Amino acid sequence: MVDSPGKGNGANSSEMEQNSYEEVEAQGRLGLARDSEQARKALLSRPRFSLRLQIFLGNALAFAIAIAIAIALVASFHRVEGKVRFLEIVNDYVMEVEQARRFEKNFFLYGTNLSDAQDNVFSAETILNRNGEELAAILGPGWRAQMLPNLHRYQQLLEKLTPQEQTGRALGKNERGLLQNQVRIQGQQMVSAALALLSKEKAALAEVLDRSRQLMLYSVGLLLLCMALSAYLLGSRMLGSINRFGQYAHRIASGDFTPITPTRRYSDEFTQLALAINSMIQELENREAVLVQSHKMRAVGTLTAGVAHELNNPMNNITLTAHMLQEDYANLDDDERMEMIGDVVGEAERAKKIISNLLDFARESGSQLEPLDLPELLKETIALAGNQIKLSGIKIDFQASGNLPRVHGDSQQLRQVFLNLILNAIDASSKGGHIQVLVLPADEPNYLAVKVMDEGAGIPAHILPSIFDPFFTTKGKGKGTGLGLSVSQGIVAKHGGRIMVSSQEKEGTTFTVVLPVTTIPAELGHQKQV
Amino acid sequence: MSDNLQVLLLDDEPIVGRRLKPALAKIGCEVEVFEDPEAALARMAQKEFDVVVTDIRMDQIDGMQVLEFVRDRWPRSKVIMITGYAMMSLAREAMEKGAFDFIAKPFKPDDLRRVIAKAAKALGSSLDFEAVEMEKANG
Repeated sequence: MVDSPGKGNGANSSEMEQNSYEEVEAQGRLGLARDSEQARKALLSRPRFSLRLQIFLGNALAFAIAIAIAIALVASFHRVEGKVRFLEIVNDYVMEVEQARRFEKNFFLYGTNLSDAQDNVFSAETILNRNGEELAAILGPGWRAQMLPNLHRYQQLLEKLTPQEQTGRALGKNERGLLQNQVRIQGQQMVSAALALLSKEKAALAEVLDRSRQLMLYSVGLLLLCMALSAYLLGSRMLGSINRFGQYAHRIASGDFTPITPTRRYSDEFTQLALAINSMIQELENREAVLVQSHKMRAVGTLTAGVAHELNNPMNNITLTAHMLQEDYANLDDDERMEMIGDVVGEAERAKKIISNLLDFARESGSQLEPLDLPELLKETIALAGNQIKLSGIKIDFQASGNLPRVHGDSQQLRQVFLNLILNAIDASSKGGHIQVLVLPADEPNYLAVKVMDEGAGIPAHILPSIFDPFFTTKGKGKGTGLGLSVSQGIVAKHGGRIMVSSQEKEGTTFTVVLPVTTIPAELGHQKQV
Repeated sequence: MSDNLQVLLLDDEPIVGRRLKPALAKIGCEVEVFEDPEAALARMAQKEFDVVVTDIRMDQIDGMQVLEFVRDRWPRSKVIMITGYAMMSLAREAMEKGAFDFIAKPFKPDDLRRVIAKAAKALGSSLDFEAVEMEKANG
């Protein structure tokens, strides 16, 4: 007879346990919501620097640089234009003056064209006067003092040469020679001054053009540099964020439902994404809790058959005893009556224990982490499945190494994992088969391993990789949801452990659950937060 | 004494034997109670019982093996199986294998008395089962 398992502490202690479990459950749920709320506040409390703003700033900077370049170019063109205009004026002036000198030469050689020379000088002066503004722009307001006196002197000298028929004054030969010399010198000075000015301004123009070309090259280079820098900053910011969210997705997929916390000093559009993912995580966590619970209820359903059967024994004992007490009441002595009443009381208590163990397991409860004695937990789990094991005519063999450290975990959830493995092993075994459950130190240090071994048909190699997939089942329709191992894997992953399977066809299957041992609880608690 | 119906009762619940032995004695059965299937089989190897009442599910040897043993050793004996709710298919299997009848836990003493009375009738002997019923009705 398998007696009702583990916790025969009587009614009061079991009620107290129930209360403490419920408190824990409330704390668990609150803790989850609090974490998420804290993460939300932290995410939103940072100064905002949105991608939109960065894009705007980058473009605005490029635009400002472009505008500055355009203004500089226009100014530069304007200067070039002024210089060119000046050169044209000076050129015209030089041409007139040179023409005047040619006529002057003719006059000295042949006595002709003096009035033409004077006309040209007049034209030259007109050119200068007409373009006073442009000249002032280049030469400054003192341009007249620079340009006109030479011209005026030349003009006066030419006037002195005017033939006496017109002036009524004859020049002596010497005087004429002297005058001729002066005119020549003055003419040469005037031309060379103008030519000097011309070449100086040509050099200045070349310099302006050169500078303008350099300005253009440098500013276009600067613009390109700015745009490249802006693109780089924007790109690395976006790619960095996308990579981070990729990592979050992996982390969440592996069952770590810790909310996303801030990693940068400012918030942006990705913050909205982080908030959305945090609320998704919370939703996922809620759903997983529902999934775990519903799967637990399935296990409870399986166990119920065994429990119902096991209940038949105390029920039968009570029925038989009560009927016989009723039938023979008058003929029994006090001792016999007391013995029969004692049997009824004892069997009622036994029935209660059979049920309460299952109800303990079935009760919904929040996640509560505590140091657990793994062998004890497995003994309780085996007791829970005891009726089922007995009903199936299977022998279960439990062994644990002595002096094992505790593991840090949620007893309810881990019991569910082990129960699931044991029920699977029962399903896989034929009547009279053996199931072996071992608790021992794992191969790697600071881990414990729980092995559940059956001698069933084994799992074919080609489906072995799929058995942890959700909804994968080899059981007949309506017999399994295919969620058991998937849910178990989720629970074990949350505990920082893993489930492994090895199977040999026709020889049996071994499931191994590896769990980290408790080192310093505070440290583990911290780790869970990360 | 040999007029009494010889009954062997095998159930690994001690209370079952404790209550049923006097209950069946009242209807004229001579009951030997066993909790250990091995001991019961050893006893049956020596003695022929008219009726064997056995629980189907027990730890080492189950009721099915007891049934097969009795059928081979004492073909005349009637075997009554005690089953649980969840084991109706097993009960049918037992019937196919030659059990006389089955009775589901939890049952009243009268339920078993009635089945045993039926078995006694099938064996050609009679029990004063009605007398007990009358007594209860009057009492």
